[in-house]
Amino acid sequence: MITAEQKPIAEIRKMIEPYKRILVVGCGSCVAECAAGGEKETGMLASALRMAAKMEEKEVLIKERTLDRQCVKDFVIQLEDEIDRYDAVLSLGCGAGVQAVAEMYPELPIIPALNTVFLGETKDQGLWVENCVGCGDCMLFFFGGICPLARCSKQLLNGPCGGSMNGRCEVDADLPCAWQLIIDRLERFDALERLEKIYPPKAWSRKQGKGPRKIIREDQQRV
Amino acid sequence: MTEKRQFTLALFYCQNIPESGLGERQALEEEYRSSLRLFPIPCSGRLESLHLLRALEEFADAAYVITCPEGACRYFEGNLRARKRVDVAGDYLAAIGLERERVGIVANEKGKPKSLAALTGEIMDRVASLDPSPVLNKRTGQKGDAS
Amino acid sequence: MSRLKEVLTQGGFAVTAECGPPRGADPEAVINKAVLLKGKVDAVNVTDNQTAIVRMSSLAACTLLKSRGLDPVLQVVVRDRNRIALQSDILGASALGIGNVLCLSGDHQSFGNQPDAVGVFDLDSIQFLQVVKAMRDEGIILGGDALTGAPDLFIGAAANPFGDPFSFRVVRLGKKIAAGADFIQTQCIYNLERFQQWMEMARDRGFTERVYILGGVTPLKSAGMAKYMKNKVAGMDVPEPVIKRMESVPPKSQGEEGIKICVETIQRLREMPGVHGVHIMAIEWEEKVGEIVERAGLMPRPEGI
Repeated sequence: MITAEQKPIAEIRKMIEPYKRILVVGCGSCVAECAAGGEKETGMLASALRMAAKMEEKEVLIKERTLDRQCVKDFVIQLEDEIDRYDAVLSLGCGAGVQAVAEMYPELPIIPALNTVFLGETKDQGLWVENCVGCGDCMLFFFGGICPLARCSKQLLNGPCGGSMNGRCEVDADLPCAWQLIIDRLERFDALERLEKIYPPKAWSRKQGKGPRKIIREDQQRV
Repeated sequence: MTEKRQFTLALFYCQNIPESGLGERQALEEEYRSSLRLFPIPCSGRLESLHLLRALEEFADAAYVITCPEGACRYFEGNLRARKRVDVAGDYLAAIGLERERVGIVANEKGKPKSLAALTGEIMDRVASLDPSPVLNKRTGQKGDAS
Repeated sequence: MSRLKEVLTQGGFAVTAECGPPRGADPEAVINKAVLLKGKVDAVNVTDNQTAIVRMSSLAACTLLKSRGLDPVLQVVVRDRNRIALQSDILGASALGIGNVLCLSGDHQSFGNQPDAVGVFDLDSIQFLQVVKAMRDEGIILGGDALTGAPDLFIGAAANPFGDPFSFRVVRLGKKIAAGADFIQTQCIYNLERFQQWMEMARDRGFTERVYILGGVTPLKSAGMAKYMKNKVAGMDVPEPVIKRMESVPPKSQGEEGIKICVETIQRLREMPGVHGVHIMAIEWEEKVGEIVERAGLMPRPEGI
């Protein structure tokens, strides 16, 4: 899933300052899972912003609403029934969601309330970790299900580097050395010889692309 | 001329607190009138940070939760969760310039747990030093329709 | 073109040292170090923005050393340059008459004074070795386009016999050799036993027949330095007896003790089969290199090369 964190309220207040009728829109997908932009968080942020406005004796209309997803037009369009009442949208979607809403309602300023961070998993309650960089050419088979691009600080495909000590990464003692993990995992499958091969340079053009990447599926298109 | 508003405490309490049944609740409401609003919940763990914020937004100068003693939660962790949720609400308050102390948590005593009435009295004393909430004194409402 | 290669291929025990470029544009800083090292060593490594701190470029500093008659080893890390820049610098180095290159990963950017820099890591050090070898031996760049003139370089890689996982270290050494390393310089050695174990594993796999291994040494200036290296530097193994030995002499004599340990280590290395030289990393203590080489019985360096 995509993870995000709420921006500091001071920063959010600065951005919404000029507006008098704000719709705060949450998202029930990834950002709900990482407790940043779901219905609860959206409710709390809206409530706090209303209180702040009252304290400053500012006349502001702030309402909230949570969509199932903000990154799919079919959901975003549900805002149609009330969007005309507002002069700005404060979105608790990830960057994809914010932009999808902005594209649907280009006349309205769409303000991000979150900082989108990474693709990752919920490793434990309250703990999310990055584990995929979206390289477009998944090599997880070769590395026992542990991605060296996401989890090795130097993205080595032929690791480890000289700084791996006690299974820890030289950059941060709290980080496991991804290559130690890979070696341990492959040993378990008796597949360590997979690492004797020299993995060639990565085709980064599948990650960086020529501008924003896209996927087109004709079988999925409208007839 | 505006009526002078009473300082109001919103009090969420676990139904497992001694002497907190309907009768006792009504008695307390009689006694404190509009300065107290009581919200029974099945376990303090059911309290959401949002409840506290909404209370402060709408009518309360302070919003507290009473939990069972540590280790004595019927549902094991409810009181510990309530603690975290109060902290989250406090973070939002601090971020907008309101005192953290407008929200709080009181765990009943182990061994000799007190009644709802006794705990209410203690909390009322505790919040007495707070100024009336700057959120509630203002005449401005929301632009447009009422929520 | 490469004195280091000549010494090694003629069967000699090579001596290399290290030089860190200055954190500024003054060429004198490099020239001064050149003067200290001339005649005492066969080649001089020039570090590449070591610990991710911005310094004069290795390529520029190598050229300055070359102008003073030294044989530089251009260290190149993959942290700061993509494959276009890396291959370009290889061509440039060769054009400037630099005869040796050391292909490295590099310390992570978060260690230095530009922590917000992107860490490029387009290639890793092993892929980079492969690329340089193909440029030299096949006259092509990555992707197969032919070069109008192939670079002539003696290719090196670093190895850490003391990092984890220990058993995998030799596999990684094998990969570096397969990728194209002609010579290896190791992380500095204080734990001779562990180094010997690693050498044995390398010999068992026939690696010592295929690559020239130079053992790394760093003279300790003080007990404090020994402890710092033990605790704060990644991939370093400084055994307790070494620390105790440094602590056993008064602070004024610790430098001398450190040099003694260094010289003894070199003497042990000379006796180890498969070790073809020593790489002396006297960080900010370059003036002692001559003395160390002398006391280790390695002077004079071979003439007429």
